Amino acid sequence: MSKPVYDRTHHAKMATGVGDPQCFSGKAGDAKFKVGDRVRVRDLPDIFYTRTMTYARGLEGTVVELVYESPPAENEAWDNTEVSEWFYSVVFSQHDIWPAYSVGYPNDTLETEFSERWLEAV
Amino acid sequence: MSDHDHDHKPAPVVDEVSDFEILEVAVRELAIEKGLFTMDDHRTWTEYIHTLGPTPAARLVAKAWLDPEYKKLCIEDGVTASREVDIDWVTSPPTQFGTPSDYCNLRVLADTPTLKHVVVCTLCSCYPRPILGQSPEWYRTPNYRRRLVRWPRQVLSEFGLQVPEDVEVRVADSNQKTRYIVMPNRPEGTDGWTEDQLTEIVTRDCLIGVAVPKPGVTSNVKLPVMKAANPVPH
Repeated sequence: MSKPVYDRTHHAKMATGVGDPQCFSGKAGDAKFKVGDRVRVRDLPDIFYTRTMTYARGLEGTVVELVYESPPAENEAWDNTEVSEWFYSVVFSQHDIWPAYSVGYPNDTLETEFSERWLEAV
Repeated sequence: MSDHDHDHKPAPVVDEVSDFEILEVAVRELAIEKGLFTMDDHRTWTEYIHTLGPTPAARLVAKAWLDPEYKKLCIEDGVTASREVDIDWVTSPPTQFGTPSDYCNLRVLADTPTLKHVVVCTLCSCYPRPILGQSPEWYRTPNYRRRLVRWPRQVLSEFGLQVPEDVEVRVADSNQKTRYIVMPNRPEGTDGWTEDQLTEIVTRDCLIGVAVPKPGVTSNVKLPVMKAANPVPH
């Protein structure tokens, strides 16, 4: 039996002249959330690789931008680029993230991104 | 033949190689062996990345201060706006798909009188290299990464920046494919300045968000270096 041959440069070929995440544009279909939606970050199990921070899990925040379409990092880390998802920029109140956040700054916020699978409607 | 040959071995180039440097060399050699890229590619990319610096981003901000239409474009589409300052995120790097370590999505975070942005990457050290060059050493330290998200005001004050209480501090955690630069507010005392003059005061620190531009200040914050009271012997 011969060893299977993988083209490990296919990702670079896809992005050449186009850019990444631009090369996944139009591949995610309809977005589930829109700007202004309240969302909760799911606490999904992750195996070996994720880009969803521990501090963000279970938090409620507001979608401020639909940023791009891309395979989620958890798949892409294993060279799986078959399925793309919408990515959202979400803003949280600092007081929701850190119970011990300095008193007196109720407006302070943190903004970061999640792929669609990590978010659920509130 | 001298008996003392062993005394004349060339001195090592560096005293100490970190685990991460060993890991980088190992991964790089494997990648070359597998044919993902060649040694020449690696050299070309490394040399390219050392030609980059923060000036294009500073010019982008200065242009936006002078041209409200361009400012709108910066906020809507940072990658397109970058072309005005001769940075093509996609096709100008030697790889033709962005820098080897960076994605091609730039967001310009515009400060307002009631909102101050500051950028961090808690997961690693994502940084908008094509438009800002190599990140400063402190940006990559666990100290900055883990403290900025929790205590942004305290960390900013260590950089000499006291943010008023009525101004919202927004930390942008660059955890996926977006890279951020901060567009600070145009400071007082710069009326009638040219684009070149304005570019000079938008330092790298202003673009990360740990400083704000001031007339007359054209260099980054000098962080005090504290000598360890009880240094660890090496």
